[in-house]
Amino acid sequence: MSHRIAPIDQPVTFEIDGESITAQAGETVAVAFVAAGRTTLSRSIKYHRPRGPFCLSGGCSQCLVRIDGAPNQYACQTEVKPGMRVERQNAFPHASLDVLQATDFVFSKWFNHHEFMAGVPIVEKVMLQVARRLSGLGLLPDKPAPARAAPIVETVPLAIVGAGAAGLAAARTLSERGVPFTLFERERACGGRLSIGCDEGAPAIVVPPGASLRVGATVVGLFSDDGRPFLVALQRERLHFVFFERLLLTNGGQPTLLAFPNNDLPGIYAGRAVSRMVRTSGVLPGKRVAVVGEPDEARDLARLLVASGAQALAIGAKPVRAHGLRSVTALTVELGGKTEKIDCDAVALCAPLSPAFELARAAGARVGWDERSRLFTVEADASGRATPTVWVAGELRGPMSAAAAAEQGLVAAASIAATSGGATP
Amino acid sequence: MSKALLCPCEDVTTSEVEHAIGKGYCDLESVKRFTGFGTGMCQGKQCLTAVARFLEDKAQPRPKPSQLRPFTPRPPLFPTELSQWAAASFDPQVAPGGGVPESLGLTESALKPEGEVPKKAKIVIIGGGIMGLALAWNLTERGETDIVVLEKGYLLAGASGRNGGGVRMQWGTPTLIELARRSIDLMERFARDLGVNVWFRRGGYLFLAKSDGVVAKLERAAALHNQYGVPTQILTPDGARDVVPQLSMTGVKAAAWNPLDAVIFPWPFLWGYAHAAQQKGVKVETFTKVTGFEQSQGRLTKVVTDRGDIACETVVLAAGAWSPKVAALAGVDLPNEPHRHEICSTEPLKPFLGPLVSVLDSGLYFSQSMRGEIVGGMGDPREPAGMNLGSTQRFLTRYSQALTEQLPQAGRLKILRQWSGPYDVTPDNSPILGRTPGLPNLLQMSGFVGHGFMMAPAVAERMAAWMATGESDELFERFTLGRFAEGRLEREDMIIG
Repeated sequence: MSHRIAPIDQPVTFEIDGESITAQAGETVAVAFVAAGRTTLSRSIKYHRPRGPFCLSGGCSQCLVRIDGAPNQYACQTEVKPGMRVERQNAFPHASLDVLQATDFVFSKWFNHHEFMAGVPIVEKVMLQVARRLSGLGLLPDKPAPARAAPIVETVPLAIVGAGAAGLAAARTLSERGVPFTLFERERACGGRLSIGCDEGAPAIVVPPGASLRVGATVVGLFSDDGRPFLVALQRERLHFVFFERLLLTNGGQPTLLAFPNNDLPGIYAGRAVSRMVRTSGVLPGKRVAVVGEPDEARDLARLLVASGAQALAIGAKPVRAHGLRSVTALTVELGGKTEKIDCDAVALCAPLSPAFELARAAGARVGWDERSRLFTVEADASGRATPTVWVAGELRGPMSAAAAAEQGLVAAASIAATSGGATP
Repeated sequence: MSKALLCPCEDVTTSEVEHAIGKGYCDLESVKRFTGFGTGMCQGKQCLTAVARFLEDKAQPRPKPSQLRPFTPRPPLFPTELSQWAAASFDPQVAPGGGVPESLGLTESALKPEGEVPKKAKIVIIGGGIMGLALAWNLTERGETDIVVLEKGYLLAGASGRNGGGVRMQWGTPTLIELARRSIDLMERFARDLGVNVWFRRGGYLFLAKSDGVVAKLERAAALHNQYGVPTQILTPDGARDVVPQLSMTGVKAAAWNPLDAVIFPWPFLWGYAHAAQQKGVKVETFTKVTGFEQSQGRLTKVVTDRGDIACETVVLAAGAWSPKVAALAGVDLPNEPHRHEICSTEPLKPFLGPLVSVLDSGLYFSQSMRGEIVGGMGDPREPAGMNLGSTQRFLTRYSQALTEQLPQAGRLKILRQWSGPYDVTPDNSPILGRTPGLPNLLQMSGFVGHGFMMAPAVAERMAAWMATGESDELFERFTLGRFAEGRLEREDMIIG
């Protein structure tokens, strides 16, 4: 069962479906939920399958809940506040025991919504009405939104998105060379995988002094309404429209989903979600954790888990099938040519991130399928230049260690500095 | 039950993607549309790689790396509240331009099928949107099966895959009212005729009017509707609020309400028509571009494509807003102009909104899809002519301001994705149908100004009858290309946007 490594010292109490949960101040609703030993945080949209947090990085949909009257909030991106009212969605009568999960059994492989009851007189009409009632996630917000401040419009010579290994390395080089930049980081702290991952040999987090840093600033898009590109960043409930001359994208990627039966059971997490939980919140996802997938990453994560008091199993094995009704209780894996079923109470899926190429693509970069990693990666030259004004570095370009990402950040920064005409030491 | 999920947001399993592959959908844009993967809260962040890998393993022949193209990512990158977009401002005097992404990859050359197109066919239909496919199927119903449909991208790449799915009888001319009524009847029985669910939902259309001019227009139209058996009623603001209690009626003077109008899910219409036509022998060639024509003695003799030439007796041009470009290849000048219309979708919600609501003064419209999303758009009076399918922040701001004014509780809803499609605009807002002056075997079927989707089933039915029987039909005499030269315009003014 998931649990805390150390007791709570700054308690915050909030509610999930009327039940009080005590969390550590500063942690997110999703982590607090896991730390409290709970499993089902949401129900899936069609089959009402139980779901729990998976990526802890706002990149999946498995932790969506209603918070204080607003639907579909990411529990993993929302910090707990005293008295916060969290409601689970899309379940009847209750997320823990949802009778609508019957659909999962009726449609045991999948639901052919194109042809099901199509054109059958009368039945078709009933089916449409039932489908309409069952559709959707969450309810309309209770009330209008609070008044929002108008966006801040600004212009920067160089915008960097993502303060992970690549972004920070680039920032250091640019600072040294006197090239001004503004760095946007979605998390509240810099570091990216350096603070939430567990790579052996990763560089330390060094934030250049005096740098223009925006933490807790989510870049939600890149637009080009009149031919001049700008980023839209959301920071403290306010949009910023940031026009830039040049752009360095070091925004990494999202956990990659591995396809095997029951890969969506609560208790199955992305590898980096597990290291994040352990490192930033002192929460263990289970006592017996199967750490499967990419061997190097799995080994590093297993070491972290063992050092934190959990057992790490099936390290680097290939996941074949997960077992369990409400949460994962066992995993069938392939390891060394053998198939084995392993009892576990959590699974960490280690896999290279899927590059978050959306901004790069909107900025005009090319995206292609990399045959070796089987990921869509952003294409760029050796210096990371993807277009005359856009550079990319780090995991956007494919799987690599934190050290290699940092190296790419340095190279891209040097290329930017060389073309900026800025002061060089 | 054991399911291997490829898209947990939309509960798409490996079995479902296998089914799509079996139907011949092997590119990611098509699989996205056929299965719904990548359309949920994460917009593909979690599932795109998993599905691409699955296609690489299962599709036959195995796709080359260059054929694995990610579907076009849509802004915003993370779901973002309407209230945030609404807080920005825009200059209504300045024409919108730009947009991201610059290129949508509608016609990925890597996806062009190997092998040539058929060397000849009796009828070649250019454009695999709803017009062309509905016509092909209707022709097969009349025994004509020697047909090739040419589509330059994937099915649904054009406006048929980009519209909001509203279907209404509330029009300003008898012709359109009658066509729309027939179309809506055909849509309601589409699943019976073609075996595919189209999620037809008769939620009605509620038009709001905020100025005396628009009130007068609605009243005039309602009188005409009643004359043609459409039960449109003019409502007071309180009456309109009874239909949708969440609406704000500030500034609203009157409303027009027809409970028989409907909302459908556009995509399955194309699959339904295409599959049924293919079963009868029609060839639907996707990712195939028309590059020219051969003519002899005032007739088109061949359609030239990037996969070979097709000798034919009749060519139908049903390429929507792309029609003028294709017509130019035959030396024909069409007056249609593409105008970008932007549209967006929120997160899915449990059902609360019955009708499609539209403010005729501003062009705002929104409805709730059968998946629960609020899908809506708003025409921009400043939008210049030109083929531009980029998405803008300006649109999100205009739309969010207008929607939250009408539906204040929507402020905390989040925009999941935005996209755009081209209205195919003619000088009099009426379609171009029938024979081409000087090229009698080139038949026109375009110029539907943003409502082609809802007209297509009825128009295609009549066009197939006209083509197969040769009996005269006023549609193909009144709405000809020749009317512009003759100064005989057919004005329609119930256009949204």
